[in-house]
Amino acid sequence: MTTAAWVCLLLPLASAAVITVCGTLIPRRAAAYISTLSTFGAFAAAAVAFAEMWSKSPGHRAATTTSWTWLSAGPYHFGFTLLVDQLSIVMMLIVSGVGSLIVAYSVGYMDGEDEERRFFAYMSTFLFSMLLLVEGGNLLLLLAGWGMVGLSSYLLIGYYQERASAIAAAKKAFVMNAFGDATMALALFLLIQHTGALGYASVFAASPHGGAVANLIALGLLGGAVAKSAQLPLHTWLPDAMEGPTPVSALIHAATMVTAGVYLIVRCHPLFEKAYVIEDLAAGLGAATLLMAGLIALVQTDIKRVIAYSTMSQIGYMFVGAGLGAYPNAMFHLMTHAFFKALLFLAAGIAIHAVVGEQDIRKLAGVGKLMPFTKWVFLIGSLALVGIFPFAGFFSKDSIISSALDHGWYGDVIYAACLVGAFLTGIYAFRLFFIVFTGEPSAFTREHFHRHHGQEGPTSMLWTVGTLGVLSVIGGLLQFAPLWHPLTDWLAPVAAPIVEPTNAEEWITSAVAIAVGLAGIAVAWAIYGARRVAAPRALPALEKKFYWDELYDIVWYRTSDLLARGLYAFVELPLIGGSLAAVGVVFGTGSRELSLAQNGLVRSYALALASGLAVLTVVFLAVR
Amino acid sequence: MHGPDIQWYVVLSAILFATGALGVLLRRNPLIILLSVEIMLNAANLLLIAMSRLHGGEDGQIFAISVMAVAASEVVVGLGLIVAMGRRQVDLDVDKLRTLRG
Repeated sequence: MTTAAWVCLLLPLASAAVITVCGTLIPRRAAAYISTLSTFGAFAAAAVAFAEMWSKSPGHRAATTTSWTWLSAGPYHFGFTLLVDQLSIVMMLIVSGVGSLIVAYSVGYMDGEDEERRFFAYMSTFLFSMLLLVEGGNLLLLLAGWGMVGLSSYLLIGYYQERASAIAAAKKAFVMNAFGDATMALALFLLIQHTGALGYASVFAASPHGGAVANLIALGLLGGAVAKSAQLPLHTWLPDAMEGPTPVSALIHAATMVTAGVYLIVRCHPLFEKAYVIEDLAAGLGAATLLMAGLIALVQTDIKRVIAYSTMSQIGYMFVGAGLGAYPNAMFHLMTHAFFKALLFLAAGIAIHAVVGEQDIRKLAGVGKLMPFTKWVFLIGSLALVGIFPFAGFFSKDSIISSALDHGWYGDVIYAACLVGAFLTGIYAFRLFFIVFTGEPSAFTREHFHRHHGQEGPTSMLWTVGTLGVLSVIGGLLQFAPLWHPLTDWLAPVAAPIVEPTNAEEWITSAVAIAVGLAGIAVAWAIYGARRVAAPRALPALEKKFYWDELYDIVWYRTSDLLARGLYAFVELPLIGGSLAAVGVVFGTGSRELSLAQNGLVRSYALALASGLAVLTVVFLAVR
Repeated sequence: MHGPDIQWYVVLSAILFATGALGVLLRRNPLIILLSVEIMLNAANLLLIAMSRLHGGEDGQIFAISVMAVAASEVVVGLGLIVAMGRRQVDLDVDKLRTLRG
């Protein structure tokens, strides 16, 4: 089992190394296939590990394996340890499974790019980092993986390096993620101080219960989770991250990396349960994010940005689940979301690919008529996103919403927010669908649409999207909370839920959620599908994304700019500049005066020598 | 122990050294200055040998021989400089050689 875990981890790293070292020695296609094969190999290894784990009794499924002591500092030793247990195997399967489909899709999508090899090397690096994050057996390795996925994300957002906006977006993502990394590192320092270890089991056993320290630790971890998962208030990087190629958006900024925050909370749930205030804060942030992202998504005009905001909103649901203590439900939604969100992005990618890279939904309008396959898979993805029975989102989202009922008045508030969010999801998802995929093709679409060898796109793009479409339909059947719940049972030894809604609550919630989702779809149909109702004018606050960018601009950029200018005028110029000038004057004058002593008279030098000797003699004799 | 006491040697050495030092400080002819430097060196040599004799070791004598060797080399360089100055019709007066003035 552990061997398979090592293979799963190291295959993507090996492929990245091979592509990098071989460089131009191998054709571009070969790089793409090496990367694809390695990710499929990683998925196969994860599946083998899963099968081996499956055959063991529930009490003996977790295993750790240490290859060497990675870091020693005084009494602290941190091994390069992998932890393979019920939770990490689920993440390994999601990451390598969805990852391999998306990398295979990229073979077609990136075909003909000048720097295909660089793209695939980055993709493999990302998969390695993400697998390290989920397989790491202590918090230090988790943090290492955490930082490395941030780096891969930075590299891939800035893949189109000749585009200034892509570079700016990459920097923004990196800086905001670095903020989260820093708070996480601080939490780790506190843990080392109070428990003397970073291995999961020892940390969970020894960490302080309640009080300021426990709260600070949980807050630091939450800071990392919030930054990585683009939740309020560190969310502004995610929409800009859509500057990267579409497969990157699907893999990193929808299916895997941005859900790492949810994984972190579920993995470290004992720490959060010892600081329930912070856990409630996580749920509250999730609820706030899902509402705000849903509202902003209503008015966006870039197809990928709409999906990006829906990602933020769906991760908000996962945060609600993880924050309320419904860990298996959060993980379940993480899985189904990986399926249908990757599907939405990749289907959008087919459309974008077919229409010369255009992403504006007003220009893409009506493209569905020319691309029936893409239209249907996008419809499946949208239905799964809204949570309509029997698509995947229905099962996972509703179980999260209903778990809010088991959490007092705070839970009731969140419950209401989640239902409003579901209504908004219906509107924005189907606004996108109706505008882009129904109706007559726009002039722009007609002019620029081109088929790929008689198909809607390269074969590698079609079959992967088809597979994800199937998963988005049947993936949710894995668990239906009121009737069967294998995932909850599977995860029980690692992350048992602390909220248990009754079956009646589950049924009622499902009914209500479907109703509000359908209501949202109906509204979208009336406005954008049938055009019976004129589209209301967009609020400026929504178009400006609630002024978060402007707020950060004022709070961070302008203040530091002002501070720097002030320091320059009042400290640097008079104090530092002045003192340097004074040093120059002192030495210049001093050496000019001193040079007068060198009069060129040899006898005066000899006199100086002799008198110096005389003085020394007197001094030595006197001292004696 | 034959010969005068050690005080005589010390006093003679001091007189010789002072003579040489005054010569270096007061005279302007480089030839004389060189000569005075030699006197100072020999004052030191005298003291070295006297002390060596007093203490019964050979170190001082070896040192004196080294000093002589160095002095001989130094004289070669010094005289060479002075001869070169004479050939160029330069005044043999150190006070006039002031081009290194700061």
